[in-house]
Amino acid sequence: MAIGIDLGTTNCALAYSRGEEIEAFGIPQVVEPNEVRAEMLLPSFVYLAGARDFAPGATALPWDEEPALVVGKLARKRGAESMGRLVASAKSWLSYPGVDRQEAFLPVHAPEGVERISPVAASRAYLAHLSAAWEAAGNEALGEEEVILTVPASFDAVARQLTEQAAREAGLKRVVLLEEPQAAFYSWIARHADWRERVGPGNRILIVDIGGGTTDFTLIDVKDRGGALELERVAVGEHILLGGDNMDLALARQVESRMPKLDAMQMQALWQQCRAAKEALLEPGAETAEQVVTILGRGSSLIGGTLRAKLTREEVERTVVEGFFPHVPLEEIPQRGRRAALTELALPFASDARITAHLAQFLKQAGAAPTHVLFNGGVLRAGLVRERLISALNLWLPKPVVVLDGEDLMLAVARGAAYFGLARQGKGIRIRGGVARTYYVGIEDALPAVPGMAAPLKALTVAPFGMEEGTGHEFPQRKFGLYVGEPVEFRIFSSTVRRADAAGDLLEPMPRELEEMPPMEITLAPTKNHPRGVTPVTLASYVTDTGVLELYCVAASGDRWKLEFSVRERKG
Amino acid sequence: MSRITLAFSSFFGLLFGGQLPDSVLIALGLSKRGAKSTPAAAAPPKVDVSEGALQLLGLLQRDARLVDFLMEDISAYSDEQVGAAVRNIQENSRATLGRYLRLEPVIDGVEGAVTQLTAAGALRSEAAAIKLLGNVPADGNVKAGLLRHKGWKVEKIELPAMAGKANLKILAPAEIEVE
Repeated sequence: MAIGIDLGTTNCALAYSRGEEIEAFGIPQVVEPNEVRAEMLLPSFVYLAGARDFAPGATALPWDEEPALVVGKLARKRGAESMGRLVASAKSWLSYPGVDRQEAFLPVHAPEGVERISPVAASRAYLAHLSAAWEAAGNEALGEEEVILTVPASFDAVARQLTEQAAREAGLKRVVLLEEPQAAFYSWIARHADWRERVGPGNRILIVDIGGGTTDFTLIDVKDRGGALELERVAVGEHILLGGDNMDLALARQVESRMPKLDAMQMQALWQQCRAAKEALLEPGAETAEQVVTILGRGSSLIGGTLRAKLTREEVERTVVEGFFPHVPLEEIPQRGRRAALTELALPFASDARITAHLAQFLKQAGAAPTHVLFNGGVLRAGLVRERLISALNLWLPKPVVVLDGEDLMLAVARGAAYFGLARQGKGIRIRGGVARTYYVGIEDALPAVPGMAAPLKALTVAPFGMEEGTGHEFPQRKFGLYVGEPVEFRIFSSTVRRADAAGDLLEPMPRELEEMPPMEITLAPTKNHPRGVTPVTLASYVTDTGVLELYCVAASGDRWKLEFSVRERKG
Repeated sequence: MSRITLAFSSFFGLLFGGQLPDSVLIALGLSKRGAKSTPAAAAPPKVDVSEGALQLLGLLQRDARLVDFLMEDISAYSDEQVGAAVRNIQENSRATLGRYLRLEPVIDGVEGAVTQLTAAGALRSEAAAIKLLGNVPADGNVKAGLLRHKGWKVEKIELPAMAGKANLKILAPAEIEVE
């Protein structure tokens, strides 16, 4: 038995396997008031229903007569009519260090008096729904089962820890995290029994994953180890908050400019129609050069109020293909818009919409050129977008890339996760990956303090890129004197681009490209050996079997204390 | 009446009322057979307003805005205007019907071809299932004829379970947007 869950930004899916075959699970959910239906995707939306939203019992599920939160299709639908109570993109918030991710602040624009929830609580709601739905369908409870949960490759250690916490709170006790692009590749392997003939040693596979709200890049190398093929994830890109929703919205805004003023509901309908029109027009060999977009009259006068507009293929190509996937030189660097002091809470959306520019930067940093490409995510259902990405890659690369195709772009991640579950039981190949970033602890120079100047920082490499699950490092050369019972903070840094730093390397001075993460906190609890006073400790790092990075303080006596990310904002 | 309105009116008249509405009869130039002989004295059998009918109508309004469409006076609008909206309504109505009902022809044959009544299977002797047209012999004993319309029958109907107190007479709520 293997279970894979794709906890997506806009949709969740669950796939399972009881033997060789991998099946997707139809997820029962409230699709309309009083109506429960199984759908392959569970939209990742929570609606915080008020007293007048639904009739009593209208949101009942087979396993819960009065769910506290409305989750899934009905949440998305009702939320479009009443945005102030809709929680969306919880996953993007989960990876955003600019907020306290455990604080109940979603929806950001909820009216006064609505009880908000935290990004962790929203993720927990999706997982709890999936788990209950699975059990209600007559399957074994997931609490004690090993569940593979996918996260973006670019998720940092804190976002991974919070995802794991959400799973634990949803009752999933044995969760293993897997990176989404890897999952997509596992799904490809699962579908191609002859995959060993399609890729071979020396090949480097680029995975381009463009979902509704995020874009993720990963490189996997195929290696020969003692005659057997081995797969190794060698690079992951930065977290880019840019995806298909941006493209559909760009089209909808254009069409809207040709229509009389639309209300929020009509805008929503327009958005969806633009998505359908985009996919129809961007199919290679599509015969129609234009699609009619129709918005029915809002009130009971339907025909009289109907609005129509045409969306031409030329326009869609200009907006989507040229706007988001222009040909750029490999040297292109995405523009980083400087954000003015934000007055309101908002996600850090990518300021450069050119996905090709982000891809160019990723490939340049990664070095060696990919030989194959695998696409994943709903946007890449549009054939012309795939073609444009292939032609962009071929302009940069010495040899044309081979496209690995034949994927179900919506369910591949969940299916691949289930395959990985099988692989963990020895029934398939595993990609060697390890941590996707290099992690550092900041150490202050022990110089006399100079007024007005921060002490220069050095960075100690505690977890190198690719550090594998189940392995650890110790750093005996650095001793810290900590007071028992008093809280101490360690400053933590990470990098997605520095892949050569080895465990124990001291970077001095600290390079500017390191990103600071939330600090890690520790209070040495008194032990028998160390009841009070100053205790000299050294640091140790460990990556759990489930892919979570842990740091410890270790005393000479062998006593260990675990450091925890302090994800709560420091107040005041 | 436009062809589309006619088709919808006929379909729902038959589905909910078991007969074609008067407006359709007039539009088609038909008359009710034996309408005159209906004894005025006999009170019509009391029919409970079927919950299923209300619910289905509500579903078609919710998903396809069908009631809005049928209740609107469309005489002032151009065919192009009507056509633009109808594509949408037809597509959604069809999807809704497909979701809750399984509709099949009474006789799955080729319209215009000579067809045996036995092609209707178990329904071959039911008057409601096969309507004989043209030169029907006095004893009504007919084996075959030209299939003019395949007919429709509901093979399966599965409407969502409603919460106990749901007011099915509300086909669509009034909508008030708070500024």
